[in-house]
Amino acid sequence: METLVESTERPDGCTIIVADPTGEGGTLSGSAVAVSFRPAELEVRPDGSGNLLGSRCQSCGAHFFPIREACSGCLSRDLDDVRFSTNGTLYTYSVVRQSTPAFEVPYVLGYVDLPEGVRIMGQITGCPIEDISIGMAVEMVLEPFGTDDDGNPLTGFRFRPAEAS
Amino acid sequence: MMTGVHVVGVGMTRFGKHPDSDATDLGSAALLEAIDDAGIDARLIESAYVGHVFQGMVTGQRILAQVGLAGLPLANVENACSSGATAIREASLAIRAGENDVVVAIGTEHLTSKFSGALTPDPSDPEAAVGATMPGVYAMRARRYMEEFGMTREQLALIPVKNKANAARNPLAHFRKEITVQDVLDSRPIADPLHLHDCSPVTDGAAAVILMSDKAAKRFANGRGVRLAASTLRSGSVDVTPTSMTFEPLTWDTAKDAYERAGIGPDEVDFAEVHDCFSIAEVLRVEGLGLFEQGTYPWAVERGEANIGGRLPINPSGGLIGKGHPLGGTGVAQVVEVVRQLRGESGDRQIEGARVGVAHCRGGKAVGIEGAACTVQILVR
Repeated sequence: METLVESTERPDGCTIIVADPTGEGGTLSGSAVAVSFRPAELEVRPDGSGNLLGSRCQSCGAHFFPIREACSGCLSRDLDDVRFSTNGTLYTYSVVRQSTPAFEVPYVLGYVDLPEGVRIMGQITGCPIEDISIGMAVEMVLEPFGTDDDGNPLTGFRFRPAEAS
Repeated sequence: MMTGVHVVGVGMTRFGKHPDSDATDLGSAALLEAIDDAGIDARLIESAYVGHVFQGMVTGQRILAQVGLAGLPLANVENACSSGATAIREASLAIRAGENDVVVAIGTEHLTSKFSGALTPDPSDPEAAVGATMPGVYAMRARRYMEEFGMTREQLALIPVKNKANAARNPLAHFRKEITVQDVLDSRPIADPLHLHDCSPVTDGAAAVILMSDKAAKRFANGRGVRLAASTLRSGSVDVTPTSMTFEPLTWDTAKDAYERAGIGPDEVDFAEVHDCFSIAEVLRVEGLGLFEQGTYPWAVERGEANIGGRLPINPSGGLIGKGHPLGGTGVAQVVEVVRQLRGESGDRQIEGARVGVAHCRGGKAVGIEGAACTVQILVR
């Protein structure tokens, strides 16, 4: 289990949790870990905040994840890249107990509906499995998520129960 | 006037583990059986469509070379779990277009040598990157269905119990052993609430069908032809807003197209082979096909309505859960089952008096779309 040395709330509601790269609880080296595991879909900014990325149709207002070239509603090609909200509602979930070698089991997989009208698949974290329920409010959290080909840690996203506001 | 299409010959290997053969061997065996079943000279076959997923380049050409038919126009078809069914549709289009009178469609897969464990979307997919597995996706749909309609875990288990009971009566099925609800609940958890018995197995197998135009069928079918009244294909669309995951617009759209083309409504269907890759999938399929009202199928299963001998038997072959699921082979094997049922050749799992059968396949997952490829075939005696 990696040691978590910092957990920072961001004004946009998104949180990054940075793992200690040395494993000794030493100096935080945020830049060493704040590299998105999927830059086309998850923006991780130098300050450690981040958002899922998608498209918004200028013509009809529909939103899409991931980024698309044309709108499926009206076929307009005038789409803006947008950062999605980090808070949403859990549509459904499952505890996955058999997966590929890339993922340590068990983990909780869920579909989260964001206010923009997109449904995002992501892992659910930050609470006991028995506390997870359909319809619960969740928020996106950035967490260590695998490594690149050279073994450098990457940052991905999960969802956890939203702090009561 | 456009010609009709008839299934005149069918062939299918035993489904299961075939450590000593490969996708070419299996496909060749199924094809030779289909030719013999049709009772035709193999030289009558004018073109071929061959569905497979993980078998590599030109598997279809290898099969035809194996049986002396190299040289025919041939297309290899990949459409995930609908690959074989898509091959049938392509073959039927070649006939309806007037291009050919006799066409073969083959589906084959030697899955045990390519793959084990939980199937996942393509690794490049954003959902695969966060840990999506096919059992995980269907488990999430099962949980949502339970929440919305009050289906119990025990009710869901009745589907593998039914399908494995049917498979026990099918000599070509992967599993030949009946199970109980308790066996399902006691089997290894795969993705809550799904257990191992809720999942279709990793299977090797192949199937082949020979399709003919009206003209060819009149000459060669000897009264054994079964009419392929419709063969439709759709791809999942990108949702502009998230839709229910407990109903399948993709299945319904594909089915509606088929019902309209066939001039046959869901109320006229006598039985169906549907894509039960997982127990919950059978619920979603039959409700998406309009065969049962949404939110009612688990209770219908409880009442025995979907059993052989019930009001509307579902997956008399054992389905993917019982018969096995060699991806490319599956869609063709479904049609083999429907044809044999309609001919009255299904032994002790025969559905008496069946006149209209439906085969439904649905496969693949990509981010943002409901499902990748869906096919519906309506066959009429």
